[in-house]
Amino acid sequence: MISTIYIEEEIATHPRTLAILERFPDATKISCERYGEIFNRKSQNFRLQKKQPALILARKHKGHILPTPKQYGIGAEHNYYFSHMLNCLYDCRYCFLQGMFQSAHYVLFVNYEDFTEEMTSLLNKHGDEPVHFFSGYDCDSLALDPVTNFTSKFLPFFENNPQALLELRTKSTQIRNLLKREPIKNCVIAFSFTPDKIAKSLEHKAPDVNKRLQAILDLQKSGWQIGLRFDPLIYTKDYAREYGELFNDIFSKINPDLTHSISLGGFRLPKDYLRKLEKLYPDEKLFSSPLAEENNNIGYPLEIREAMLDFCANIITQHVPENKFFPCHEMI
Amino acid sequence: MIHIFCALPCEAQPLIQHFKLAELKQFDLFRIYQSKDKEISLTLSGVGKINTASAVSYHHACIKTNAGDAWLNIGVAGHANIAIGEARLVNKITDEHDKSTWYPQIVFKSPCESAALITLDKPSEDYQDVLFDMEASAFYQIAIRLGTAELIHCLKIVSDNTTQASSKVTADTVKTLVSIKLKLLDNLIESLKPLSAKIRSITSEPEHYQYCIEKWHFTQSEKLQLSRLLRQWSIRLPDEAIEAFIASDTSGKSVLQSLRNKIKGSEFVIHD
Repeated sequence: MISTIYIEEEIATHPRTLAILERFPDATKISCERYGEIFNRKSQNFRLQKKQPALILARKHKGHILPTPKQYGIGAEHNYYFSHMLNCLYDCRYCFLQGMFQSAHYVLFVNYEDFTEEMTSLLNKHGDEPVHFFSGYDCDSLALDPVTNFTSKFLPFFENNPQALLELRTKSTQIRNLLKREPIKNCVIAFSFTPDKIAKSLEHKAPDVNKRLQAILDLQKSGWQIGLRFDPLIYTKDYAREYGELFNDIFSKINPDLTHSISLGGFRLPKDYLRKLEKLYPDEKLFSSPLAEENNNIGYPLEIREAMLDFCANIITQHVPENKFFPCHEMI
Repeated sequence: MIHIFCALPCEAQPLIQHFKLAELKQFDLFRIYQSKDKEISLTLSGVGKINTASAVSYHHACIKTNAGDAWLNIGVAGHANIAIGEARLVNKITDEHDKSTWYPQIVFKSPCESAALITLDKPSEDYQDVLFDMEASAFYQIAIRLGTAELIHCLKIVSDNTTQASSKVTADTVKTLVSIKLKLLDNLIESLKPLSAKIRSITSEPEHYQYCIEKWHFTQSEKLQLSRLLRQWSIRLPDEAIEAFIASDTSGKSVLQSLRNKIKGSEFVIHD
């Protein structure tokens, strides 16, 4: 799976680096000073690199934990996101990472302890108020968990800090590390969904909808709280039928009591990212969707956006109370 | 197209014969050779970084290159302990002089192992556990400005090591070493071809683009819009005859408006 590993000299002897290298004895190892020497170089082609991404082991020096954009949240006033990894195993055509990064290589920041240290500072700053931490913006939280052991490090931290909540955003079925331990109340495993046919067209290399749903059922059976993320909503002529079937499938199977929150928002991207994606995938149907520009962002025109959000909201609120439902109407 | 750069005539000669390249006499600053179908060209740079950087720039100016082309620096190199005659694709280039580094992106099944390389200003027999050459950093530094990173590579064949120093390497030895690795070079080129094709396909103009810009005037910004709309048309209205639809338009602006309206009025289904 991983045939090349770049290793920053500074973390070459970090225990997490050594453990990961041990998993890939046949990979070519290349030392580098800073990951940006590889990751940020121009003239790279994301689409070509996606054929055989390398793993870059690095140290994150600053900005470990960042505030989320104002409109993102699932009920708390203080919201932060963090990325122990950059880039994703999957290849979803709507994903903003393709527009944001020059490289498709996976960067893993091995200095988890610096992340939790900064979380501790933020929790101290906010006293007893709830603070939400979101993982999975710049990577899939669980897809590489067997390699990174991300959850094994972070879940004990949250277990000891009950005023904090961790969201693990994912499409992955790599839930073994979760199932083999006791669930914690302040962690939400949030699965992203699009209807099956849309997922097959756009979410390349990701587990299919049924497998994700099965992962949810397994997690709920073990007592974990789950989240449902219908973001991005993808427009197609028959979206009502397709999303209707998806909701019916999901809500007929899951346990509503262990469903922490549901959020949704239409497909939208910063204009620059979308233009870059169009160049990478000029024949991609998604970029021929009905789209409009608003404040330097591109997404569905207001009438489509609102019609889809209203349709979905009507069904979702039949299944969960409104205080668990977080729609995003903005294009940003 | 594939653009090959060699420092020495003895490195180039086996390649010139293998790919049946003929010299392009009209270019006299550096010797440039090309295959009959123009798919492979080779420039003889001479030894060292200045020669190499100049040769890559000159080649680019003389031979029309594009983002889908592959760029290869092929030659011999020293190494402390890799056996003579072994080939390595370079995975890290360090310029000894200013310590700049580059990381060639090997996103295909490599026909041989890869190794790090240091580009020196002067020959050295103080071998290390990395390849030594005198051209790769200059080649890569210029080629990366002209091409796509995943298509730019250095293939080095070990000609000297701690058991046989460079002072003992002759031109005939180099010719033999390169000749033995021609099959490996063919394999490398075969591995790069699908990547080149992918870049060519995503950077090519959409169908009907030339027809439109020859028939109507478009500003630069309108050309981008045209390109986007033509691609959308081919996706959303694949069975509709576009040229007949816009035949009566009298300006570039009205073509864009016609295309926009027609596309907007069509149904959109994201999957087959």
